[in-house]
Amino acid sequence: MKRRDLLRTGAALSGALTLAGCSKLMETRAAGVPPIPEDRPDGVYVPSHVEGMEMVGTASSGDYVVGLMYSYPHRFWNVNGESVSLTEIDTDDAVHLMASVWDVDTEAVLPDTGLSAEIYRDGSLVSQEAIYPMLSQPMGFHYGANFGLDGEGTYAVRLSVGAMSTRRTGAFEGRFADPATVEIPFEYSEAAKEEIEFRTLDDRVATPGAVDPMGMEALPDSFAPPESTLPGRVLGAATSNDARLVVTALDAPPAGIDAAGTYLAVSARTRYNRMVIPAMGLSGRLERDGEAVYDGEFARTLDPDLGYHYGAVVDDVESGDTLTLSVTVQPQTSRHEGYETAFGGRMGGMPDVTVEVP
Amino acid sequence: MSTDGDRSRRAVLKAAVALGGASALSACLDRTDDDPVPTGDPASKPPRQHAWREYVRHDDHGNTQLPAHQILLYLDFDVEGPPTDGDREALAASLSALDRAYAWRHEGLLHSLAYSPAYFDRFDASLPEGIDLPEPTALSPFESPTFDRQDAVLHLASDRADVVLTADRALRGERETANSVSVPPLTEVATVASRRTGFVGAGLPAANQDAAGIPDSEPVPEASPLFMGFEAGFRGNQATEDYVTIESGPFAGGTTKVIANLRQRLEDWYDEQSEAERVMEMFSPGHAKNGLVEGVGDNLGSSSGIDRFVDDLVDDAREHGRVGHAQKAARANRDADGNVRLLRRHFESTDDIGSDQRVASLHFPSLQRRISAFEAVRRAMNGTDLTEATPTIRQRVNNGILEYIFVRRRGNFLVPPRRHRVLPTPRPE
Repeated sequence: MKRRDLLRTGAALSGALTLAGCSKLMETRAAGVPPIPEDRPDGVYVPSHVEGMEMVGTASSGDYVVGLMYSYPHRFWNVNGESVSLTEIDTDDAVHLMASVWDVDTEAVLPDTGLSAEIYRDGSLVSQEAIYPMLSQPMGFHYGANFGLDGEGTYAVRLSVGAMSTRRTGAFEGRFADPATVEIPFEYSEAAKEEIEFRTLDDRVATPGAVDPMGMEALPDSFAPPESTLPGRVLGAATSNDARLVVTALDAPPAGIDAAGTYLAVSARTRYNRMVIPAMGLSGRLERDGEAVYDGEFARTLDPDLGYHYGAVVDDVESGDTLTLSVTVQPQTSRHEGYETAFGGRMGGMPDVTVEVP
Repeated sequence: MSTDGDRSRRAVLKAAVALGGASALSACLDRTDDDPVPTGDPASKPPRQHAWREYVRHDDHGNTQLPAHQILLYLDFDVEGPPTDGDREALAASLSALDRAYAWRHEGLLHSLAYSPAYFDRFDASLPEGIDLPEPTALSPFESPTFDRQDAVLHLASDRADVVLTADRALRGERETANSVSVPPLTEVATVASRRTGFVGAGLPAANQDAAGIPDSEPVPEASPLFMGFEAGFRGNQATEDYVTIESGPFAGGTTKVIANLRQRLEDWYDEQSEAERVMEMFSPGHAKNGLVEGVGDNLGSSSGIDRFVDDLVDDAREHGRVGHAQKAARANRDADGNVRLLRRHFESTDDIGSDQRVASLHFPSLQRRISAFEAVRRAMNGTDLTEATPTIRQRVNNGILEYIFVRRRGNFLVPPRRHRVLPTPRPE
C-alpha cells in the first residue's frame, strides 16, 4: 500500500485527521507510522513497517562515488558504546536523507569513511551535520539522518566524505586516504515524497526474521561475500546475537599488513540478509591443546576480496584448534527498526562464540 | 567631545547597519557609556604587535579576558612585486594614525598586522631559515577548507565596539577621522578582500545566539564567553607571549599566527547531550566523573587541569565511549619541559563568510613561535589514533567536539615585531 492510501484509510477513521490535512500529516508524522512493536525479540526481527526510498542522484570525486537517497523521516537508534538510544522523528523533520559511498573502481561500498552533509537553498545554509553510519534491513549499511527543510523546492546537498582510517589492504592499500566533497541537487516536493512506498507488515511483525533487501539500480549493495566466494579456506561460522561471523584462513596476510603467518579473517554479516556489519570491536583467542597460540585484536580492515572484515595474523592454524571470538564493542552503527535489539543492542553485549578448526 | 561624540556614534551606527554586520551592530548597541576614548602615543607602544596580555582585562583568576569586539581585515596590496617606498609611507601613515588615535589598551585599540606566505612570495629573497611559515594546509582527514592566501590580515580589537567600528571605517576610507585623529585609509595601498567581525566575553554569545547553528531554545548561558557554554583559554593552558615570540633573526620579537574560521552546529551539542556529556567532550571524561566543572567552568580557576587526564585517552574511549577535546589537544600542546606551546585568542562570530546569513561561527587565531606547533596540536585533536583503538570513537562522533565544528577557512601569517610591521621584506634590516 502506498503511504497516501494508508493515510487515507487513517483519515476515514478520524474526522480530526481529515481536518488536519494530508500534507501537514506528512510533515508532522502524526499518523501512519506504527508504534514500536511490543515484545521485540532479542535479535533481528521483522519491523512494523517498511519505507521505500528514492534515488536523488550520484556524483563522483577522487576515489569515491557518493549516492544520495531520501525517504520519509525515520526513527532510529543511535549506538554509542553500550548505550542504544532512540531518536524519534522530530516535528520539523521533512526527510530522511541517506548516502552511500563506494569505490569508483570496484563499486565496493565503503562502510567507515565518515560523512557530513551540508544543505543549501539559494545559497543559504539550511543544515549541516555529521551524519551517522546506519544499518537497515532493506538497505544495509548507509549513512543517514533526518533533516528539516524550508519547504518544497530545489536544494543543493553537499556531501563530504572523510578519509578512511580503517586499515586497507590489497588493491585498497593507500586508497581512500583523502577527503572529497560532492554536490548533488535535490528537488524536494511533498507529492513526490508521498509516492514513496510505505507498507505496514501485519502478522510477521516482531517475529524473528527480516524484510527483503531492496535492490536499487545505480546503487551497489552492501552484502558481505557469500561464504562460498570468500578467499582462503573457510574454517567455519558462528552466530552471536544474530551477527554471523564467518572465519576464513589465508596462507599469508593481504598486501599492506606487515607480518608473516596465517591470516584469519572474520567476515561479519547480518543473519537473514547477509548485510556487512562494520565498526565492531573484535578480539579472538586461538587455542591449541588448551594453550593460547594467539590472543588479541582482530582489526577492522577493508580488502577488495575479503570485503570489510576483522583480521589477525597468527603463526599457523591446525586442525583441532579452537577459535573463540569476543565482540568487545558492539557494532557502532545506528540501527533502523528491526536491528536495534540485535548485535548487542538489547543485552549491551554479544556472547562469545567458538569455531572449531576442521 | 559631546557634539563630536554624538556625530561619530550616529555615524558608527549607520556604518554598522550599512555593512550588514549583524554582530557588529548588536555589539554597537551595547555601548552605553559616553566616556572619551583614550588617545595614544606612537612612542609608547610595546615593541611586539602581539603584546596584548598586559593591556587587557583579567578575571579574578588572572585569566585573560580578550577584547570584546574584534574585526579582521584581510588585505591584498595593490602593488605587484615588491612594495615601493611610496606604499610603505602610505601604510605607515595609516598605522601611526591609529597609534595616535587610540591608547594601546582594551578601552582603546589593540591591533596587529600580519603577513602571509603569499605576500613574501613577491620577493626574490626567502624568509630566514628559522621562520616557519608554510602555506596553510588541511589538518584533518575530513576537512577541505578554503585557504586564506590574501597578503595580510589586520586584526583590530577593543572592549568598545564603537572603537573597532570607527577604526575599521576610517581604514577603509569611509570616514576621515578616528577619535578626532585624521586617518589616511589603507585603501590607498590595499584592497579589503574580506572583512570578518566577532565578539567574545560573558553576555555577548547569549545576546547573539539567534543565529543558524544554535537551537531555538537559546541554550547559551549568559555567563559563557563562548557559544559552546564553557570558558576557555585558562591562563595555565595558554602559552605566554614570551614563549610564542620569535627569539632571533630579523623578525625577533614577532610571532606566527594561524587564523581559522569554523562553522558551529550546536543543535546536537545542546539538544542531544547532557551537561555531563558536554563536559566529557569539551574537557575529558575524568572532568565529568569527578564533577570538576560547574556551570561555565569559572570554578576551574586558572587552569582546566587537563594535564592529569591526557594519559587516559584510550581508557576513556573504551570506558566512556567519548574523549575530550582539551584532552586530545593537550597531548601535543606541551614541550619537553611541560610548557604550553600555543596562545589561542579565539572569538565568536555570526559571520557566514560569503553570505549575509547569520550563522554561528568561530574565528580562531592562534599564536605560536612556529606554525608547525599549531599543526601538531590540531592534528592531535583529530584523535585518529583513538578511532583506531575503538570503533566507539568515530571520525567526528564521540571524538571531542569534532561533530559540531566545521572548518571553512584557514590562513597562516607572520606577525612581525612592530619595527617591521610595514610591508617588510623577507630579510628586513
